[in-house]
Amino acid sequence: MESFAAQAVIAIENTRLLNELRDRTTELARSVEELRTLGEVGQAVNSTLDQRTVLETIVAKAVQLSGTDAGAIYVFSNRRQEYRLRATYGMDIDTIASIRRQHIGPGETAIGEAAAQRAPVQVADVRETPAAHVLDVVVRAGFRAVLVVPLLGAERVVGALVVRRKEPGAFPQTTVDLLQTFAAQSVVAIQNARLFGEIEEKSRELAIASQHKSQFLANMSHELRTPMNAILGYTELILDDIYGETPAKLREVLERVQSNGRHLLGLINDVLDLSKIEAGQLALSLVDYSMKEVVNGVFSAVESLAAAKQLALKVEVPPDLPPAHGDERRITQVLLNLVGNAIKFTDKGEVAITAAAENGTFTLAVRDTGPGIAADQQAKIFEEFQQADSSSTREKGGTGLGLAIAKRIVEMHGGRIWVDSVVGEGATFFFTLPAQVERAAGVA
Amino acid sequence: MKRILVVEDHEDNLQILRDLLKSAGYQMLEAHDGAAAVATAVAEKPDLILMDIQLPVMDGYEATRRIKADPALKAIPIIVVTSYALSGDEGKAKAAGSDAYVTKPYSPRQLLAKVREFLPQ
Repeated sequence: MESFAAQAVIAIENTRLLNELRDRTTELARSVEELRTLGEVGQAVNSTLDQRTVLETIVAKAVQLSGTDAGAIYVFSNRRQEYRLRATYGMDIDTIASIRRQHIGPGETAIGEAAAQRAPVQVADVRETPAAHVLDVVVRAGFRAVLVVPLLGAERVVGALVVRRKEPGAFPQTTVDLLQTFAAQSVVAIQNARLFGEIEEKSRELAIASQHKSQFLANMSHELRTPMNAILGYTELILDDIYGETPAKLREVLERVQSNGRHLLGLINDVLDLSKIEAGQLALSLVDYSMKEVVNGVFSAVESLAAAKQLALKVEVPPDLPPAHGDERRITQVLLNLVGNAIKFTDKGEVAITAAAENGTFTLAVRDTGPGIAADQQAKIFEEFQQADSSSTREKGGTGLGLAIAKRIVEMHGGRIWVDSVVGEGATFFFTLPAQVERAAGVA
Repeated sequence: MKRILVVEDHEDNLQILRDLLKSAGYQMLEAHDGAAAVATAVAEKPDLILMDIQLPVMDGYEATRRIKADPALKAIPIIVVTSYALSGDEGKAKAAGSDAYVTKPYSPRQLLAKVREFLPQ
């Protein structure tokens, strides 16, 4: 008898354990399903900035996972001061259209109530609830139970996630908890979309401001040049003794005026070049030219500068360079800038210019025996207003714009510019250029 | 004495050219806008024209085109003077029919050398 009773107890206990195990398994399976779905929702939120797509994904998953029949997401419009229907699931077109025609102001219906309480609100049976609480159209569509979860932003309620069921009855706490997670995801999606919209707007404003800035600089540089013409012109006339013989002391002072005036002019020209390029207003003037003549022209322009510093200036150009087509004046400007820099920064030794052509592309190199440029500075020097060492700006002069301009001109020709250098062993600047340039390439 | 028509609207730059051209032995005529330049060219038939580009009423390109379109004037050399060479400006100056191109700010000495290329003494 005792053993029978014991057996019965064991059997009952086994059944209880088995049931518990089955419940746990079901619960676990549901948890896994929930996690999987939340993962999908998270992915949707992060992978697209299209608010509508994200919200539709969220409402669909929320309905499926909560075992309800239909759902919707409303977003509060500050401008209209009402909740606007943004995404739906499981609702027919007529019902959607009817809801869209409704005005749901702050504090109105269960949505307004949930927002005011900053907490979920549920209606177990719409037939036992005051009419104002649930929209007529929802009742007419046959829904009996409604759960509203507010979308809580950091400062205010941004909207509501609603699920509806045709069966009346309270929603279990697990469903409420689950929908609160979905609501949090919706808030992120809505805020992401808003931020993205703001960023887009700001980018547009910035692009316009940048255009205005470039245009302003271009106009400004032009206006600055007219008085420079008068200053440099008169100075030269006086130095040429047009107004009578100029005393030696005055001549010395005027030569300083002239040299500073020319430096100022160089700055103005560089700023104009750069602003024109940035404003997309610098057009290449494409002509047939000879690279050999470009190199020789640069050589004669800087020969005296090199001689004054007792630097050897070497040129190496093969006799069989192909005929070239490009903006000769701008290409000369680039080479002149590189050679001018090499001479400026080299105190003893030599500066060598070499040109070569292979497969229709020129490679120009300017090698010096100067101090060299540290690896971490090599990319920076091609940016505006950067010299390898800011102290050298004071010592060596220059605008810090020359290489930035050179880079853009080379890129407009579809070429590349770079430097190869080890500190203490000099530097070699290279640039490549297609021999035949038919039209300007876009500048990054 | 050779006569040079200077088309320029900036007083200081005009004064520089008056001083420069006088000292070099030229007579200088003046026009302060593009339309006046065309009228003066017709009336005076100068030996050479220095043409600024940014001018009131009518710009230097248009004035150059009109003068070069006139059979009685087309032989007059026109040196276009503009603010700093932007690529493309030279092409526009040539297309308008000018004979040479000088960028501002110019060196008076170099400008004079350019003038002398067209007016051998």
